[in-house]
Amino acid sequence: MRGFRHVIAIELKLAMRDPMSGFFALAFPAIMLWVKLRGGNKPLPGGTPLIDATVPMLMVFVIGLAALVILPATLAQYRERRVLKRLHVTPASPAMLFGAQWAAHMLLAVLGTALLTVIGLAAYGLTAPANLAGVLVAWLLGALSLGAVGLVLGSVVPSGRAATVIGLSLFFPMVFLSGVVIPRESLSGSMRAIGDLTPMAPAVRAIRDGWAGAAPSPVTLGVMVAVFVVFGGVALRTFRW
Amino acid sequence: MAVIEISDLRKTYKGNTALDGVTLTVEPGEIFGIAGPNGAGKTTLVECASGLRRPDGGRLRVLGLDPHRERRELLERIGAQLQEAALPDAIKVGEALRMYASLYRRPAEWRSLMDEWGLSDRRNARFADLSGGWKQRLFIALALVGDPEVVFLDELTTGLDPDARRTTWGLIRAMRERGVTVVLVTHFMDEAEALCDRIAVVDHGRVVAEGAPGALIAEAGADSLENAYFTLTGRDLS
Repeated sequence: MRGFRHVIAIELKLAMRDPMSGFFALAFPAIMLWVKLRGGNKPLPGGTPLIDATVPMLMVFVIGLAALVILPATLAQYRERRVLKRLHVTPASPAMLFGAQWAAHMLLAVLGTALLTVIGLAAYGLTAPANLAGVLVAWLLGALSLGAVGLVLGSVVPSGRAATVIGLSLFFPMVFLSGVVIPRESLSGSMRAIGDLTPMAPAVRAIRDGWAGAAPSPVTLGVMVAVFVVFGGVALRTFRW
Repeated sequence: MAVIEISDLRKTYKGNTALDGVTLTVEPGEIFGIAGPNGAGKTTLVECASGLRRPDGGRLRVLGLDPHRERRELLERIGAQLQEAALPDAIKVGEALRMYASLYRRPAEWRSLMDEWGLSDRRNARFADLSGGWKQRLFIALALVGDPEVVFLDELTTGLDPDARRTTWGLIRAMRERGVTVVLVTHFMDEAEALCDRIAVVDHGRVVAEGAPGALIAEAGADSLENAYFTLTGRDLS
């Protein structure tokens, strides 16, 4: 596993050297937070203070961007530029490559998550999560399930540009429908019903539940595990160097 | 024991025959050249030998291993720089060597490799900022980072200026001095003549001639390998 650690460290450095990744994972969500809270920290229908809903929501925004847009674009660009071709003649396996890419991009999402939390606490009176363990489990499962979806995309798309376009066209409908940009409480019933079919919805629900102190629903967590297993399996089967 | 044994190797892509019964043997410690025109099947041959492609028929053993069935084991013991393969733009020289070393069970010491191949001064240079010659130098070091017994180099000097080509030749000779067997794919006959202990000339998926450069030149009654090549492949310009 020594090798694995080095590959993750270098992939994370490479991601940080790309100004676009840094902007999307760190600056963009922080700007979103500011935009959302411009009108003040009003309670949502149901009584949750806006900030206590928005920070968990934007955590999924960061995970989604890293998993569905930045990760597939990196892998597809590696295919386009024949970086994968070079790796193919080393003992590196697709599973190892996936693990390293996932870990590096999710570390980027951890930084974005930490930044949102710090801003929320310092500037907007964010309440600490009532069930920290629940939030951590939900975050991790969200990262695994959305990461697996991103790996499927990164496994087959031939170029970085195409992966960015496809990734964004999955990401934006998902964030609007699954309660990542607009709180679930404010979505119409039909939008929420459609959003609940996306792999992003369980992540939002589980992280928000944990933040509010509710026990995570076993169904929500189970759906994320299932998405991870199914999409992870498809990614391994369809991967092209 | 021969390092590479190939007999009657065949590979067809969608009706196009890339390898039409190739037979050859590579001995330990030699620089073995695979020469021939574009589309002759050279790259397919190397891709089969490094386990990237599965041949349709024939027998193929590299270090006694079946490159398809025993690919994992083989990849621990070979190094390769295949055509147009590259690294991420933003990776630094030192990072690339350290990362690639970490992929092998028993890697070479990457820092001494970096010193040995003169890359230490550029350890913090980004891959995208290296000139063609320095990129090739890094590729050669990366091909050696797993401490391999055989190294495959496919068109390593294509696109280099004459200076950088000559320097690269020196690096390839230095590789042989380390006891590594080198399989060099090239379409430059001067390169094959200058570097290789033995050469297989491949055309239309078959070996049309095999031997030491001097023997091939004598056989064709030519004054250089380049002219011998035109005679041997029947592509005589006269």
